[in-house]
Amino acid sequence: MGHSLPLYWRVCLINGGVFVLGLLALVVTPATVSSEVLPSEVAVLVVGLLAMLGLNAVLLRRSLAPIDRVVAQMATVRLPGSEQRLAEGAPGPGGRLVGTYNAMIDRLERERSDGNVRAISAQEAERERIARELHDEIGQQLTVVLLGLSRAVEKAPPALATELADLRDSARSGLDDVRRVARRLRPGVLDDLGLTTALASLASEVGERGGPRVERAVGAGLPDLAPEAELVVYRVAQEALTNVLRHAAARSVRLSLTRRAEVVVLEVRDDGCGFDVDAATREGAGMLGMRDRALLVGGTLRVASDRSGTTVRLEVPVP
Amino acid sequence: MSASAEPVRILLADDHALVRRGVRLILEHEPDLAVVAEAGDGAEAVAAVREAQAAGAPIDVAVLDIAMPTMTGLQAARELARRGDPPRMLMLSMHDHEQYFFQALRLGASGYVLKSVADQDLVAAVRAVMRGEAFVYPGAMGALARDYLDRLRRGASVPESVLTPREDEVLKLIAEGLSSKEIAVTLTISVRTVERHRENILGRLGMRDRTQLTRYAIRAGLIEP
Repeated sequence: MGHSLPLYWRVCLINGGVFVLGLLALVVTPATVSSEVLPSEVAVLVVGLLAMLGLNAVLLRRSLAPIDRVVAQMATVRLPGSEQRLAEGAPGPGGRLVGTYNAMIDRLERERSDGNVRAISAQEAERERIARELHDEIGQQLTVVLLGLSRAVEKAPPALATELADLRDSARSGLDDVRRVARRLRPGVLDDLGLTTALASLASEVGERGGPRVERAVGAGLPDLAPEAELVVYRVAQEALTNVLRHAAARSVRLSLTRRAEVVVLEVRDDGCGFDVDAATREGAGMLGMRDRALLVGGTLRVASDRSGTTVRLEVPVP
Repeated sequence: MSASAEPVRILLADDHALVRRGVRLILEHEPDLAVVAEAGDGAEAVAAVREAQAAGAPIDVAVLDIAMPTMTGLQAARELARRGDPPRMLMLSMHDHEQYFFQALRLGASGYVLKSVADQDLVAAVRAVMRGEAFVYPGAMGALARDYLDRLRRGASVPESVLTPREDEVLKLIAEGLSSKEIAVTLTISVRTVERHRENILGRLGMRDRTQLTRYAIRAGLIEP
């Protein structure tokens, strides 16, 4: 019953109980107070009063201490982070407050990641559209301009030819820019050549950018994943490899994609210097981004890191 | 030998009519090249090749844009390679990505030309594939060079290497991702000389034609078998 008693009534009850005890002590024991208070009576009263205060303090403390813990926690809480939960203590109003607080944090965290998931998929869709338009519209137009100028250079009188050649070269670099931007927006390789090839190209890009050698192990007979799931696997691998390049100072990296029962497992393991996973989760958008992307397709992400290296492991359910 | 008499018969497939026109003008600037058919997507390209074959005037080289509706250039290449006596195939693409090149090789194409350098490379590529060689696009050359050097370092088996010191230098710069122009500046030689070194390196490493190149790329894990 104590579980459902509101805090207000509980405090009244405790105080009331202590007063009743005091009253009973006066009634049952032979203690009396004369109209002219004697020193011995004062002593007894003081002892009685102190006992009542002490008892009250102990009882209230048990009920109310968790409130201070919650207040202190609320002042510093930051989403997300699993260490934000409080230990659920004794039953009672304080304990209930802790429970409700934890549930609220869970809900906020869930809403935050739902929001992120929605934002991520909206962003990916938009990126795809822009990349396609860049490619199909602007890229083609620039190609036409480039080829036309290229021919004009050959036909033009020398005075004009140098000018046209400059124009041709800027059309060329414009085309290179369009391609680079489109590629950054959306990995065309993934759509055109499939996940396995796209992972191979990520691995070789690490080498191109001066990173360590990436050993690839892609299991045969992997099931076909939905396009969204492939994109998640690709983006997580991309983020993990980017982190390796930036921070790990690794000598070797292993990227594997295998099937285990009902999940497809992506693992990126390096032998670099490692990092503090909790701190990175709190501060970096990258770690969170990977986690939210995993959620997007009902997958899970685990990151383990110590002095001898880091392992990023993504599990995506097989459809 | 017969090139002076009979022009090379080319099929051009790109979904963008103006791009097709631009490419056509570039090719027809050369007297020994003739664009005899055009197609707006992969399916049309396959049909055009078949028609030409039936008419007794087969296509020598099919230039296929990768990104086309209905049937992409890669799908068309696979389809053409499956039939008897396919034309030589060149992919034309916006993607600067060696994986497209290796994939194109795997599907039966002999070369890959980036649209942003089509005005410089396309004619050379057509000539190379007519000689039976592969036209290796510069980005893929970088991947091949890196892999080769990596194997050498690890002491793994590599094709018998007989590169001259100069070719060795060029190979290392290619592996570092430098363009022909940058290599020319670094070594104070002409771009043309760099291109010739590139050709020689491929020849000496036994990667001059499509089949050898594909085999190497698969063994090196640059593409999935």
